[in-house]
Parts: sequence; structure tokens; C-alpha cells
Amino acid sequence: MIHNHLKMKTLIAILGLFFAFNLTAQVDAKAGKTLFRNYCAQCHNKDMKSDLTGPALGGAQERWGDDEALYSWIRNSQAMIQAGHPRAVELWNEWKPTIMTAYPDLTDDQIGSVLAYVNGTADGTLNPKPVGGAVVAVAEEESSNSLWYWLLFGMLGGLALILLRVIGNLDQLNAEKEGRPYQKKSLLQSITSSGLVSILIFALVLLAGYTTVNNAMNLGRQQGYQPDQPIAFSHATHAGLHKIDCQYCHDGARRSKHAVIPATNTCMNCHAAIKVGSEHGTAELSKIYASSGWDPNTGTYIEGYDEMSQEDIKAIFTKWITENYKNEKEVDVLDESAMEEIEGQWNNIVTSLTNEQKKKVQGPIEWTRVHNLPDHVYFNHSQHVTAGKVECKTCHGAVEEMDVLKQDAPLSMGWCINCHRQTEVQFNENDYYKDYAKYHEEIQSGERDKVTVADIGGLECQKCHY
Amino acid sequence: MSNKNSNVWIGDKDLTRDESFIAISEQEFADSSLLETLGNEEVAESAQGNRRDFLKFLGFGLGAATIAAGCDIPVKRALPYVVKPEEIIPGVANYYASTFINGSDYAPILVKTREARPIKIDGNAEMGQGGSSARAQASVLDLYDTNRYTKPQLKNGEAWDALSWADLDQSVMAKLATASNIRILTNTIMSPTTQAAVDAFVAKYPSTKVVTHDAVSYSGILDANQSDFGDRSIPGYHFDKADVIVGFDADFLGTWVSPTEFNQQYAVGRQVKDVTNPKISKHIQVESGMSLTGSNADNRILVKPSAMGEAIAYLYNKLVGGSASTKGLTDRARKALDKTAAALSEAKGKSLVVSGSNNPAEQMLVNGINNALGNYGSTIDFGSAYLNRAGSDGDVASLVSEMKSGSVDALIVMGTNPAYSHAAKATFADAMSKVATKISLAYAKDETTALCDMIAPVHHSLESWGDVQARRGSITMVQPTIQPLFNTRQKEASLMAWAGSSSTDMYETMQTVWKNTAFPLQSKYASFSSFWNASLHDGGVNVGGGSAASYTGNASAALSSISKSASSELEISFFEPVSIGNGQYSNNPWLQEMPDPVTRTSWGNYLAVPVSFDGHNKMVGMNGLEDGDIVELTVGGKTVTVPVIKQFGQMPGTVSLALGYGRTVSGPAGLDIGVDVNDCITVDNGYAQYYNNSASISGKVGTEKEYSCVQYHHTYGVTTLKDGVEINADEEALGMAYGLSGYQGALTDRSVIYHSRVDDLKDNLDNLHHKREHAQYLNDQQYYGGFDEAYEMGHHWGMHIDLNACTGCGACTVACMAENNIPVVGKREVSRHHEMSWLRIDRYYYGDIENPRAVYQPMMCQHCDNAPCENVCPVNATNHSSEGLNQMTYNRCIGTRYCANNCPYKVRRFNWLDYTNADLFPANQPSLTNNDDSTPYGADNLTRMVLNPDVTVRSRGVIEKCSFCVQRIQEGKLTAKTEGRQLRDGDVKSACMTVCPTGAITFGDQNDKNSLLAKKLASPLNYIALEEINVRSSVNYTMKVNNHDESLDA
Repeated sequence: MIHNHLKMKTLIAILGLFFAFNLTAQVDAKAGKTLFRNYCAQCHNKDMKSDLTGPALGGAQERWGDDEALYSWIRNSQAMIQAGHPRAVELWNEWKPTIMTAYPDLTDDQIGSVLAYVNGTADGTLNPKPVGGAVVAVAEEESSNSLWYWLLFGMLGGLALILLRVIGNLDQLNAEKEGRPYQKKSLLQSITSSGLVSILIFALVLLAGYTTVNNAMNLGRQQGYQPDQPIAFSHATHAGLHKIDCQYCHDGARRSKHAVIPATNTCMNCHAAIKVGSEHGTAELSKIYASSGWDPNTGTYIEGYDEMSQEDIKAIFTKWITENYKNEKEVDVLDESAMEEIEGQWNNIVTSLTNEQKKKVQGPIEWTRVHNLPDHVYFNHSQHVTAGKVECKTCHGAVEEMDVLKQDAPLSMGWCINCHRQTEVQFNENDYYKDYAKYHEEIQSGERDKVTVADIGGLECQKCHY
Repeated sequence: MSNKNSNVWIGDKDLTRDESFIAISEQEFADSSLLETLGNEEVAESAQGNRRDFLKFLGFGLGAATIAAGCDIPVKRALPYVVKPEEIIPGVANYYASTFINGSDYAPILVKTREARPIKIDGNAEMGQGGSSARAQASVLDLYDTNRYTKPQLKNGEAWDALSWADLDQSVMAKLATASNIRILTNTIMSPTTQAAVDAFVAKYPSTKVVTHDAVSYSGILDANQSDFGDRSIPGYHFDKADVIVGFDADFLGTWVSPTEFNQQYAVGRQVKDVTNPKISKHIQVESGMSLTGSNADNRILVKPSAMGEAIAYLYNKLVGGSASTKGLTDRARKALDKTAAALSEAKGKSLVVSGSNNPAEQMLVNGINNALGNYGSTIDFGSAYLNRAGSDGDVASLVSEMKSGSVDALIVMGTNPAYSHAAKATFADAMSKVATKISLAYAKDETTALCDMIAPVHHSLESWGDVQARRGSITMVQPTIQPLFNTRQKEASLMAWAGSSSTDMYETMQTVWKNTAFPLQSKYASFSSFWNASLHDGGVNVGGGSAASYTGNASAALSSISKSASSELEISFFEPVSIGNGQYSNNPWLQEMPDPVTRTSWGNYLAVPVSFDGHNKMVGMNGLEDGDIVELTVGGKTVTVPVIKQFGQMPGTVSLALGYGRTVSGPAGLDIGVDVNDCITVDNGYAQYYNNSASISGKVGTEKEYSCVQYHHTYGVTTLKDGVEINADEEALGMAYGLSGYQGALTDRSVIYHSRVDDLKDNLDNLHHKREHAQYLNDQQYYGGFDEAYEMGHHWGMHIDLNACTGCGACTVACMAENNIPVVGKREVSRHHEMSWLRIDRYYYGDIENPRAVYQPMMCQHCDNAPCENVCPVNATNHSSEGLNQMTYNRCIGTRYCANNCPYKVRRFNWLDYTNADLFPANQPSLTNNDDSTPYGADNLTRMVLNPDVTVRSRGVIEKCSFCVQRIQEGKLTAKTEGRQLRDGDVKSACMTVCPTGAITFGDQNDKNSLLAKKLASPLNYIALEEINVRSSVNYTMKVNNHDESLDA
């Protein structure tokens, strides 16, 4: 008995250790994700497999082999290159003149966490992705559903016609049996009979009421709204192809109520190097240069740009567009159509950057807001992104597939409420919720398996309206 | 028992159970016709139309609405930065330490900015005690004043021509170069940097003399201190260290010298620390009209204005010896002063005597009294003396005579408005016309600038660099929190430009000044840059006090120079109102709409006349006047018509009237509101005396149409008599039968205010606890179970209001307006009971009917956990949250107003009109402003920049009320969540709690047992207003404890 008891205890201890170990490993990779986002994601691709401004990080630890060297590389790469470490020099030759930012303050634990996250993501052991097929199947099911409805509707309609016919025939038989004269109703007569007409009118009124109410509820809602923007900026290219983290540009999402449309100088972090776009060439990228006063010919900011005349600005950018045109088409002399295209490009830049109030191309770019909430709704991004750990795509959809951004969700109150009903809060992870002692007790005792946003008052009016 | 509620009253109508008043208080809303309430009477009355027209309009309206609803949703734009400043995150507030400064008013502040625009101001506890005043709160609105001067201007005949700064500087310098006698007329300069700029100017133009003029003169006390101490300043006072405080017409809680600091100190001495051995300070106020300070005092001694000097002399003689005429004093006053002298002698070294007199001889006597009591060095010290007043009546008088003689060539006016606030303003204006060059460094339109020929407009202090040394020992910084909105320039920069300085950059100038002045005075920082950065962060620097001056005066010699008492039938005293000062703030709509704490009038000055009991059932005003009657007031040859208000505690034979109104050149909020009586101020021996002893008033000559006193609005807990039995007036309408005592909504003894003399505290506490137990017993008889378990986890918000700390200063009401985007409705709407304030301060009188004391009770939504308003809403627009908040959802509200009708505390406000221009369609409604402007106050695009973006702007037709600053609650919770920690006490503070200079308001989580709120909730003095009706309010009040001495009244 005692023996058994001891055995149990050991088993529990081992199990406990196992869980504890597992837990720390998990926490590490999780912390690594945050660190990666904050420090690395600006240059390194988050899929860990393809290159971006910096090389893909998947397998970096193996390639280095020596952790100590790798750690000091991360802390200060330039020092290592100067010291002549072979792997460092090899990387420098491959990637110069791009310099990796030094992070002297990162601790060993932090770097370890980042590497754990990098490795986990690269080999897919961390957060295995759900099978994509399931989503497609659901979508297909939805479209076939409506087909079924139509089929059912047709069959019922047919049945009704058949039944009408049967009733007519039976009436006729009855009449013949009783020797009454029977005038067979024509189809027109059947359709225009007062009974049917009143049923139809009743149905119409119902339908009209239903549609009116539905449409009235939809007034002011813009699901699917996809306005043209002053710049043909493609989220598919940036977030999809290049896998730039959403929060690299929308840096308000984690700390403010606004996700923030990035300032032009955020674009310039990359586009000081990438000056000609793959899709639109110089046509679109020149707009951010014209807005911020950066001369792509020389790669410098123009002094006194705000006061510069429109002609001078035009000269700078026409020169840039022309030279690129020549390079691309490999021509030395421009014909009329080329001149026209260059002029057209410049005119497009002007129309995109100016309006009735703003006559100059200099200054901020006027984007069209896609996601709008009424003034009486308070929405805070950081509440959802940082505290609630909600993924961006939960509300914004597959942005990485959108060339022109579209409002994915209805942004209606019912939609918000529904999510608040279903979503679990980070109840055990966040110490804030220690105030909810009763729920913790209930979870301990097994009475409760989860705490949703609604459980902590997430459906109350004054959580969003004040 | 002295604690019967029946000896608390709100005004004479309550006391006499006036039928019209009872009728009004039975209803939630003042009964007026729908047309008068909602429409534009003039238009409606002249309109021609019939039923068919009505149907046409109705049809058209419906059609138009349908078409409008079907239109495309307007496209909204978003403009990101080109280069985003690192410190700005859109949607997140930044706070900067700075200093509020306007004339002689100052306060170290923290400025809250959103997207780089200041939206809220609060006290900076780093440099001051925290807390601020109504004026400091409202100063942020001035920044967005549509009547600011936006560019330099030059007078051309009657018109003003705009010109560039370069052109202005050129013409100014050309004029100054040929001037042989230049004068700068300024308010008190408290800033070392401004002083440096003035010095630079004087160095360039050596004929310049600087003349200082304050809106309200403190020459008397300054000159007295100069002669007694060799120090022309006002000493630092320590009201917290004084056991006995005697004030002679000094409104130190309202306006005198530095009221925010004095409030904070005063409240310390008024706290009952131990109920078993209760002790609080004793405060005796000698005055004729009821001031804010007087209403808080334990005893008031009534002395007419002209006899104030005699009263001081009498007290001096009692304490030191000697004799003087006392013919102006009543026997009663003499006896009371005898007792006061006795009380003071018992508290030597722990007493304090202050006087608001502007007669130096009287101030010398006060100095003599304080010296005899040994108060210098204990309750008064010159080491931390106030430097915020330096004006000299004598200097201004000699300037006027110089100008008159034509010897002044150029006059530069900055920060002061003598053409309005000077006693001899007609002479001043006349003399000014003889000056060839008159330059105004003005912020907005005023009377003096109108007489000038050049305007060099100045920045708001929120746009400026600067510093303030309001007291010896500390210098606070002013830093810009927004780019200048208009083409203005700091006054220092203008002076330096005209002085030909090489740099007019104020940042550089200020650094130079600080390097030479403040930096050498401290030893904490070795390098200037770290010192500068630390000072900028903290909002200033403490550099150690000056030396204490010693008393060398001879008060007895002053006895012969005191003011002579007059024997006229009526005397009038003039006072600076708590809200708008002597006109410096009269263009600020927030301050105009803030009711005066004592008279509770807004938008205009009302002549306070004494009331007396007619022996039957009526409190009659002087000459049989009633509230809102218009009379002709004649003061020394000038006659004005002014509305009256019956004022308890106003001495018979005296009346009083506020200064600061009746501006003739001003922005629209101050223009032609009330009457100006600055020219009725008498001048005695060269010193302005704020009273006049040759006053007379006529009988009633009319009735004010828009009588804007809020005292009888939204009253609750009023009792009346029916068949000799005391019942509740506002519930009498329910027609409930007698005998139902105890059930909710029935006729019960109401508990709104409890008060006690400190000596009777034990008895009264027993009574209070008995009453609370009885209320609890009554509540237990109900079916309502309580549902307390619903708030056991998470948060349960609550508030505690200490009525012993509250002095009624009104800062919280303005802070609430600023925080919660509460609209200003204007005089007409206030007169119709439509003021929108979420937080009001109810004034209750108690004690002697002829000379009562007051309790101020801040009243806002009590967030009842069993709220009667919630049950009656047909659309569930108001309901309860799991955190104990009574939620109001504007977008769901359809405006039935049932909730307001059912609110026992009368704290719900209805948007009768479109006060904010928030509606989709501009509505047919009367003008809300004084000047028939179609845009209501604060609804223009410039002023809207002050709105708090986290709070919805309400539209017409919805109810609103205090939300316990839910936006701050949510922000505090979110910060805790993102930091992954539990909410800490102090993370969430309501706007009223933050602003309160005395710490009277405490907000917090009732579930946090270690919070400041929990500590306050444990006080045995606590009670809940209307506890017996079982609404389970979340706000606790404390019993008001006073130190009244009945023998002084005898």
C-alpha cells in the first residue's frame, strides 16, 4: 500500500515536471513571438522560409552551429564582422550593404526565446496550421445550400401546380358524376382567382416589410465597401507576398484605440531602397516620394520642399520617371506616346495628392477610410489586440489576399455582440482577472470551463457606448 | 435635537413653503408650453399656416428624410502624418507639465493633449498640492476662443487693418525711437523671463517706466507690508496650522490671493480626525454680504463695509490696547468681537487674522494684531511670500495724470484692462486719448485695446514658453503644448523685438534666464541640461524660500487713518465673483454658466438684498423685493438697472453686487451681460475701496425675463406642511395615502443633509446612526432582495464626498463640463431650468435664519444599485452594469424622460434643444446665445477642438447624466489589462476627484478593501442621501461638522 502510494507520488512528480517543462518551453516560444514581432519582423520574414530585407531565419541556429557566436552576432553584428569571424564575414559579403541593427540589450533568455520561436515556426511544430480544405468545404457547402433551397422551392411549386390540377380534375369528375355542368377553369382564371390574389398580396406585403426592415437595419453599414485609394497600395503584395507583419505599419493597434494609417515615413523605411514597384513601376511609388519630399534621383530628402513650386517638383519627378522609362524599355529617345505616358503618370500623381482644399502635392496623403464606426461607438484596438490577443484577420478578413482593401465584416452591433458571446478572455494568463475570484473558484471546481467576454460584462451598453 | 432636517433650507421659498415653488418641485421639468420649450416663439407666432400646410410639411419632411436616408454614406477621409512625431500616438493622450497663468491667477498644471491639442487641464501635484480651480479648468477653452486676435493690426479710423509682423515692428520701433516718455502698463509680472524681456526693453528705451495695475487692487496690503516689514509682498499663510481663523471681508476660499492653496489648507483644519474627541478649527468671518468664505465660517459677524476699519481697530484695541471710534459697529458686533478677541488670545501663535481691505492703515492694524498674537513665523511667513500681486494704485494714478498732461508719448498695455477695471476709468480713457502711440499686447478684444492704435496679439499660455514665480521659493515653467493657432507672438518676444534683441526665440531666452537665476540656486543637478530637463518634466523647481522679514511696524499710529464709517441708509459692497473675476474671464462660457456658489446665479450679476421675516409666513426682501425683480440702483450719481436676489445673511442696510460684468468690448459671452459697477468703486486716499456708502435702490421697476438663478432648479428632499403635518413636497403629487411610511416612494422623513456642532457630535452621531438603522429597517421590509452578490467580483464603483472638506468652490462642476463635453446652454435656457451640468453643488442653509451657515453638497448621479430610473425606461436605454454603474446609452434613448421623472436626486438632464450642432438637420430653434448667433456656444469648429474625443457629443432629444467618468474607468482597466496586472487604487480617478483642491471627493472600487475609498467609507460620519427609499446609492456623504459658537450670535 505504502509502496503503491510512493509510486503514485513519483508518477505525479514526474508528470508535474513534464508539464512544467512543457509549460516553460511554450512560454519561451510565446515570448519569442512578441520579441520577434518587436525586433526582427521589420527585416526578417515571419514565415522563416524566404528572404526579405534580411535573410530567412529558419535553420539559422543550425547554420551557425555555435550559439555563443550567434548570440553575439545578434547583439552586435558589425563588431563581429570587424573581428573577422568567418561566418559573420560570409554573411556580410552576401548581404552588404544592409546592416543588421544591433540589440545589445537582449538577454540570453530573450534571444533563446526568439530562436525557439524561429525554429518552431520554421519546422511547423509551433501552432500547426489548420488544414485549409475545411474552410473551402464550408464555403462550398454554403453556396450549395442556396442551390438546394431553389430546388426545393421549384419542387414545391411544381407540387402545388400538380395538386391544383388534381383538384381541378377531381372537381370535374364530381360534377360529371352528379350531372352538373362543369366549366373547366383556365390557368388564367386559376391564377386570377380572388383567393390566390389575396394570398399573393399578403405574401408581397410580408416580403416588402421584411426587406424594408432588413434594409433599414443595413443603412449606414458598409460590408464589402471597397473604395478606390489615392495610391494603388496592395495589401496582397505587402502582407501576402512579402509577409510584412500587420503591426509593423499599423503600429497603433497594439497601444492605441486607432490602428493608425502609417505615416509616409514608415513607407520610406523600405521604399528608400525599393524605388520601383513590381506592378506599377514608378507610377505609384513616386506618390509617396512626392508627398514626403524625397528625391529618388539622388536618394536624399529635398531641402525646403514645403515651399517648393509645383513646376520644380514636376521637374524632379518627371526626370525620375523618364529615366526609369528609358531603362525599362531600353530606349534612348522618347517618342510621343512615351512622352504622353510620362505626362500621364505625373498628372495621376497630382490628382492623387491634391484636392480642392489642398493644392500642393506636398504633405499628407488623403486616404479613404474603409472601416467606419458611428460616433457613439467607442472601439479600442489595443483592447482587442494586446489584451484580448485577437488576430487581425478575425475582423479584417484575409487582408493578405486583397489588392484593394475591402471591409470584410459587417461591423454591426449584432456582429460585435456575437463575438463577445463566443470569445474567451485570457482569464488565467492575465493577472488583471484575479479580481474575478468567483470565476477562478468555479474553474477550479470544474463548475465552469471557460470565461467569455460576455461573462465579465462584455455585453453591457457602457462598455462601448459612452 | 439640533439635527432636525427641518432646520435645513435651500432658500426662502422652501422656508415659507411657497406654493409656486412647491408646485414646481413636484415636477421634474418646469411646466411651460411645448412651443416655449422647444420652438422659436417669434417665428412660430408670426407663422401663417393651416392644417393642410401642416400635412404638406409633414409629407415633405417624411419624403426628404427617406431620400436622405437612401443617399450614399458620406466618404470619410483619413490623413496620416508625413513624418510622425515620436511622442505622438494617435488615440493616446500625452501629458505635459506647465503653469496656468492669467493676470494674478496661477496654478501648476498638467495639460492633457490628444493628437497634439490640449483638451483638459489638471493640477500638477509635483509642483503644487494637486487640484485646481474653476478658472484654471476653464482656461483651456480660451485657447479656442473664436474672438482671439489672430494677426497684428493697425487702427485706421474706426477700422482695423491687418499687417505683417515686420511692418508692425517697423512702425512701432519708428514711433518708439522718437518717444521721449514711454510707459508700460502691465498686470503683475511674476515671470523672471518676462521681467528679462521688460528689462531689455527698458535698456533700449531708458525713458520707459513700468506701471503695474491689477484687476482688483491689493495696494493696501502691499503698502502696509512695505512699511511694516520692508517687503512689498503678501506673506504665505498657513490656514492648516491655525486653530482660530478670523477674516475681515477676505474671501480667501473664493478669490483672495491664492484660493486654491487656501482651500486645501483650510480643509485640513476642518477635518474631524477622531470622533470620540472631535476637534476642528474655529473660523469667524466679519463681513456684510455673504461670501463663499463667510458661508463656510462657523460664525459671521455682520459689519457694514464702511465700518470694517472700525471693526479691525476694535479688535486691535481689545488685543493690544488703545481706543478708537466704534460708532459704525452694532452692539451685537462689538460683543461678538469681544468674544473673538478672547478666542484669539487663547490661541496665540495658532491663530490667523486676514483682511481683504485695501486701506493700508487697516492692513497695518491686522499686521499689528497678528504680531501681538505671535503668528509671524507660525501661521504667517514671508519666506514663501506671494508675488502674484504687485499693482500700485498710486502708480496708476500718477500715470493717469502724466497722460492727462500730455507728457507720455507712448503707452504699451499688456495683460491688464484698466479702461474696464479701473475705478476712474472715464478719466483713464480720456487721459489715454492724449497719448500719441498706444500699443496693446492683447489676447482678445477688450475695452483698453479698443482705445489703442496698434495691436500686437499674444499667444495663449498653452502656446507659450515662460515661467512663473508666484511664491518665493518655487519657479514653475510654462511650456507650449500646441503650435500657435494664429499669427500671434508672445508678448516677451514682441518687447524684445522692439528692443532690437538679436534673438526673439523664447526657448533660448528662457534658458538664458534660467541659467543665470534658478540654476545657481540649486545643488541637485550639476549640469544645466539635466537641471533643465528635470524642471521641464516636473513643471518647475523648488529653490528654497527667502528670508523671513521681521515686524517693525507701529500699528497704533495707523489707528487714525482707518476708513471713517458712514451713517448713510444703504451701503453697497462690490466683490470679485468666484467665476469670472473682475472681467478677466467674462468671455468664457464655462465660467459664465457656472453658478455663483452662494447666490447660485449665472450669466449676470444680481444685487444681493437682505431678507427679513415678516412675522407671519413670509421672508420679505428689502423694499418688498422678490427674486428676479429689476430695480434701479443709484450709486454715487450713477444709476443702473439690475435684477435682485434675496440673500440670507446679507446685513440689513447693505447690499452687494459682483464686479466683472457689463463688459462693453468683449467676445459674445461677456458682452452686455449684467452691469458694470467698477466706476462706482470709491477711492479713499488714493486707494480703491470696494464699497460705496452712498447707494440707494428704487422699488421694483420690472421683472427679469431670463432669471438665471439655479437654486430652485432640480431640488429634491423638500418638505412642506399639509394640515400641519410635515410631508415631502415632491412626493405629495403622488397622492399616496398617509400611513404608508416605509415603503418605497411613500412619505418618509427625508435625509439629505446632516450637520452637527463639534461639541454635540456624540449626540448627533447617535441620532444619525439611529436614523440609518431605521432606514435599513424600512428597507428590509421590502421585497427587493438587494442582489449584492452580483457585485462581489470584479469592480463595484463608488464615491465618497466629504462635506467637511467641500467648500463649494465649484471647480468640480467646470472640470465635469470639460471632461464630459457638457454643452453650455446660455442664459435663456438656464432661466428655463435647462442647464445641462451633470454635477451641481447644492447649497443648503442651516442655523439662524437671519445669519445662517451653508452646507455645499456636490450632487450627481448616485449610481443606485436599485435605480428607479432604470425600471421605467421603455427602451432599456438606461440599465445597470455588473460593475455597479447606472449606464446611460444615448443612441438607444428616445427621450421619453420617464427616467428623469423617476430620479429621486434630480440629476438627469434632457437635451431640449440642439446645444452642440450635433444633429443631422439644423433644427428650427431659438438662438441660444446672447447675441442671436445661430451657432450655440462651443459648437463652432474652432471651439470643438476642446472636445474630449472619448466621450460622445449628445444630440437633441436624449437624456444624459453623470457616468462616473466611465471613459476613465475603461482606460484604467485597459492599462491594467495590457500591463497584465490587477487594477490598482488610483488608476481610475473621476474628473471631479482629480480637480478637487481639498480632496473632498474620493472615487474608487468598493471591492478594493485597501483603497483610499475603503478608508473613507469606514468613517462614522458617513450617510447616504435618501437612504430610506432603498435605491442603494453608491455615493456616501459625511455629516457636516461646524464649530459654531452660539454666544457670538447673542
